[in-house]
Amino acid sequence: MENLSIQDLPPEGGPNDVAPQTGGPPQLPPQMFTTAAQLLDLTDKKLVLVLRDGRKLIGVLRSWDQFANLVLQDTIERIFVQEVYADVVRGIFLVRGENVLLLGEIDLDKDDYIPEPYRKVSPEEVHALTVKANNEKKQTDKVRATKLHKLGFEVEHSGEILF
Amino acid sequence: MADAGDGDVAAVSEPLDLVRLSLDEIVFVRLRGDRELKGRLHAYDSHCNLVLGEVEETIYVVEDDDEEEETVKTIKKQSEMLFVRGDSVVLISPQAAS
Amino acid sequence: MLFFSFFKTLVDHEVTVELKNDISIKGVLKSVDQFLNIKLDDIQVVEELKYPHLSSVKNVFIRGSVVRYVHLPSAAVDVALLEDATRRGTWNSEMG
Repeated sequence: MENLSIQDLPPEGGPNDVAPQTGGPPQLPPQMFTTAAQLLDLTDKKLVLVLRDGRKLIGVLRSWDQFANLVLQDTIERIFVQEVYADVVRGIFLVRGENVLLLGEIDLDKDDYIPEPYRKVSPEEVHALTVKANNEKKQTDKVRATKLHKLGFEVEHSGEILF
Repeated sequence: MADAGDGDVAAVSEPLDLVRLSLDEIVFVRLRGDRELKGRLHAYDSHCNLVLGEVEETIYVVEDDDEEEETVKTIKKQSEMLFVRGDSVVLISPQAAS
Repeated sequence: MLFFSFFKTLVDHEVTVELKNDISIKGVLKSVDQFLNIKLDDIQVVEELKYPHLSSVKNVFIRGSVVRYVHLPSAAVDVALLEDATRRGTWNSEMG
């Protein structure tokens, strides 16, 4: 994943060029079961993108391809830890598809609604809490992995925080 | 259980043939992420994607409060019909219905 | 292609997708593609409070590779047809 910090406009053309249309009415069939049809609906919308490492990026989907490689514009990263969160301005992202967990379309009526008891704090505060929480998690993960290994389960995602 | 040498039912010549013989039978499936399933096999493909019916899922969890022994617990969940993605599957075992 | 076709028969049914990171999302199946990427409408996240980043989301695109299970309504599944298609290693056009 690359974090391009330039607040630049996406290339001309973009997603609308991805689904090739040769003549005929300029629309997709009502039900087209392709990756392109699924992502076309989400294009130019404000989305939350959850990555496999647990990061949450909020931005506008500008471009994509059949692997779900994505370009997000005006992205912020929203970092949650315990009962607080912070927003960090990131800019343009090009995300490789395999790192995508899900893409959620934000209901603009409920835009930025964060339920209780979560409250917004500074990025610095969240960062400090994250470091602490990660260290604790490493400890408990180790104990857990050892015990389950005795039952014949494999140790997986070691080191990777999945949520 | 279907018999491997039974008439026109082809013998087991590749691993997934064993799974084919378990269609409409109860199977035991071990998954990544400390999970096991038991249910009736209704469908599978070459990726080991599965559809199971009347499934019981067993999840192994470790209590995080203390370091004592016997802190591994199991959680059981039921599902009437379940699609399982093949990349989580570790093994599929035929089981006599019990 | 068997499961791609199978999921197409389940469009407009309510399913619960459980991801490999343990999030469960219930919603109406709207679309599926050859990679088994899934689109759900009118979603509801199980244990919503644990996943506050999804509380203002109405529909999701889930990448197929992160799915662990899809819980299905058994009434919507023709078991005999499914087993038959599996045995033949094909998928009848009337089903897809």
